[in-house]
Amino acid sequence: MATEGDQLVKLESSDHVIIDTDRKTAERSMLIKNMIEDLGSPGEEPIPIMNVSETVLRKVIDWCTHHKNDPPPSAEDDADSRKKTTDIEDWDQKFMQVDQEMLFEIILAANYMDIKALLDVGCKTVANMIKGKSPEEIRKTFNIQNDFTPEEEDQIRRENEWAEDR
Amino acid sequence: MSQNGMTVRPQPPMPTNKDDITGTWNYLEWGVERIMLALKDGVDLKTYMSLYTSIHNFCTAQKAVGSQPQNNLNSSHRGAHLLGEDLYHRLNEYLKRHLTSVHEELVKHSDEALLTFYITEWKRYTTAGAYNNHLFRYLNRHWVKREVDEGKKDIYDIYTLHLVRWKEDMFGSTQNAVMDAVLRLVEKQRNGETIEQSKIKDVVESFVSLGIDESDSARSTLDVYRQYFEKPFLEATSKYYTAESQQFLAENSVVDYMKKAERRLDEEKERVALYHREEIMGPLMKTCEQALIAKHAPILRDEFQVLLDNDREEDMARMYKLLARIPEGLDPLRTRFEAHVRRAGLLTIEKVAGQGDALDPKAYVDALLEVHTQYAALVKSAFTGESEFVRSLDNACREYVNRNKVCEKNTTRSPELLAKHADNVLKRSTKSTEEDDMEKLLNQVMTVFKYIEDKDVFQKFYSKTLAKRLVNGTSASNDAETSMISKLKDASGFEYTNKLQRMFQDMQTSKDLNLAYDEWRNDNFDKEDRKDEIDATYQILGTGFWPLQPPTTGFIPPPAIVKTYKRFENFYNNKHGGRKLTWLWHLCKGEIRANYIKMGKVPYTFQVSTHQMAIMLMFNDSDTVAYDDIAAATTLDKGTLDPSIGIMLKAKVLTASPEGASPQSGTSFTLNHGFKHKKVKVNLNVQIKSEQKAEAEETHKTIEEDRKMLMQSAIVRIMKSRKQMKHAQLVGETIQQIKSRFSPKIPDIKKCIDILLEKEYLERLDNDELGYLA
Repeated sequence: MATEGDQLVKLESSDHVIIDTDRKTAERSMLIKNMIEDLGSPGEEPIPIMNVSETVLRKVIDWCTHHKNDPPPSAEDDADSRKKTTDIEDWDQKFMQVDQEMLFEIILAANYMDIKALLDVGCKTVANMIKGKSPEEIRKTFNIQNDFTPEEEDQIRRENEWAEDR
Repeated sequence: MSQNGMTVRPQPPMPTNKDDITGTWNYLEWGVERIMLALKDGVDLKTYMSLYTSIHNFCTAQKAVGSQPQNNLNSSHRGAHLLGEDLYHRLNEYLKRHLTSVHEELVKHSDEALLTFYITEWKRYTTAGAYNNHLFRYLNRHWVKREVDEGKKDIYDIYTLHLVRWKEDMFGSTQNAVMDAVLRLVEKQRNGETIEQSKIKDVVESFVSLGIDESDSARSTLDVYRQYFEKPFLEATSKYYTAESQQFLAENSVVDYMKKAERRLDEEKERVALYHREEIMGPLMKTCEQALIAKHAPILRDEFQVLLDNDREEDMARMYKLLARIPEGLDPLRTRFEAHVRRAGLLTIEKVAGQGDALDPKAYVDALLEVHTQYAALVKSAFTGESEFVRSLDNACREYVNRNKVCEKNTTRSPELLAKHADNVLKRSTKSTEEDDMEKLLNQVMTVFKYIEDKDVFQKFYSKTLAKRLVNGTSASNDAETSMISKLKDASGFEYTNKLQRMFQDMQTSKDLNLAYDEWRNDNFDKEDRKDEIDATYQILGTGFWPLQPPTTGFIPPPAIVKTYKRFENFYNNKHGGRKLTWLWHLCKGEIRANYIKMGKVPYTFQVSTHQMAIMLMFNDSDTVAYDDIAAATTLDKGTLDPSIGIMLKAKVLTASPEGASPQSGTSFTLNHGFKHKKVKVNLNVQIKSEQKAEAEETHKTIEEDRKMLMQSAIVRIMKSRKQMKHAQLVGETIQQIKSRFSPKIPDIKKCIDILLEKEYLERLDNDELGYLA
């Protein structure tokens, strides 16, 4: 039985590769969902996802396919549970086992395409990478140059003394 | 930029430099304008996505032109700097410009055309607003959200921004003209023309949408709608119906006006569902009710008497329904209704009252019921059985039942007649009454009983007649008697019917006792011994419960029954030692077979009182007996003896000599061997008229005595629990306690208090207080 959710939807990546998926999967993205609401189902015409490359878009669609039957998040979810914990379910954890470059691309794509749950998973993954590390270790992990002057760094440390884990 | 003269701007290129606000806005403005003005031509996928993407790109640019300096430690509390302020303000400016031009167009129209224009533009604008809200979602999600979270006023999500602009740049200066057009439309409809109702609905929805809660843009309020739609709408409604109703009433009858008002109210109610918010129902109905009913309530009420006089039930129901809608609308109606029922009751009773003392109880009770039945039905059908009207009916009935022509001289006539009527209903009569009919008749008695104030008088007469029915065995049915007692118990409580119930019990006990006596007799005496006894049944009646007087005359029972009753006496005293049996000979009766005269082959049987029996049996020894001999043998006093003989003379069982002489010393009586009668059984045991009347008087006298006792015991009861009390307060409490039996008069209560003071149950204290002496 073909329902609205099974309709074919074509997505076009920034490097002009067309990827087929179904409407229900695609509508995990609020951007696409709103667009279909406003313009109607696009049918054969591919939807240009201008800021996402093929490899990343495929990855995102994989995630959306797995999560296409998730219940829509309620307002309460939004406020409490998901924000507070850094727990990630097993499938998502495996899904996020990618190189750092890809991880950030996924986060950017989720932000652009307005897929809140995926954005959350991405951010939690990054948070877990930071957890328990010293500033130096963090700089190393993410390859960040220290651009603070020693005075600035000192001031920040003093201001945040209360948070130090001793 | 009018719709017809719209020029399509060439599409600018999608900005390539993320930081370029001018380029980005240039592109966005082109897109927004397309959505505003040419949405019906459609927007293609690419344009849609490009617009969204360019907003996204601008907001995620590393460094935005014209924004505050970054990486400043002083602003670090804001966390990451969010971009988008410029886009928001430029959109805001654009909407202002856009609406100014729409407004310029709008003022070129008037009345219905203006309304149409407003609605079309509103729909176009809000649809575009919803589109833009999606396109600017990235801005909503980040920059707007942050501003709102930080408590910034005057920053709204993009859709709300559209509404805010409309409210400020369009609504303020046009709502007057729009509402005028709406109200003209409404008036047309009220005048019977067909209008496009959807237009009003659209305006309502528009005004409701503009109720933006300034403190929380996610919520909406009805403030705008209330002030700019509801208020003028209700004002116009009030004005319209005030004028219409005044004119209509001037030219038409009140009854026609009520129909019209009813119709108008229904119409307005129906229209709410068609183009109003549910919320207006209350205020709208109130406004209509004020104009259509409250303002004319006095005229309507004046008509009520006319309707009552003419039994216009349907119109009264209509008036009730209308006046019930306004506060305190019905009170004057109830007052009039009460007065009317009272008048009707008094009038009906006056018609039967002409019969004087001979007034038939049934005719009287029927008259009381007739009025009650008629108006109870009216209350039910026209006034929906409303409890306040029921109360008015009850008040009126209580008045005419207790204070009418018949009761003028003697206030206790109503309960007396009612009790007599009940007696007639419950007495065995030639026509048997069906069980259902009996129940109906008893319920009617109860209907009147409910209104009787002197319930103690009814109780007196009822127990008298019940005693007679039981002793004489003249009850129509035991079930009916029990049913009536339980009805009285339900109405007035256990105490009220206690004695009646005990009387009933005595009858049952007596039945068992007779059986036991028969058995005892069979066991203890042989057949020969029992031969000269007479078949008899005995009723043992508890002295305290039965309203019966001990005999006032001496009496020697006839020798023929002595053995019989002595034997029973013996049996009873054995069984219940210590009880005193008093024979109520004046209530006893028996049958005598007259073997000396026969009808055909069958001898006549005389039903006689024991007194008469004693007299008659004397004729066994001699055909002629002298008055003085009878008097000596029976020891009956003259007042009892004379009428007893009188009946036998009248029936021609005896003949007097000298002929025609009345029973007195010197007269003698002879048995009439030529006696003839059409029935074999002849009843000589009839109560004498004068006796009946004396009895009623006696009953009334005892009522006064009983009331005194009732009041005194109530006073003692109250004082026992309160110990001390003000005089006036005690009187009030006593009235409260006694009210259910009769309406005590204050001087009587005072007299009772004086008696109790004398008997030293009470004492006088200071301050007009009374104290209880144990």
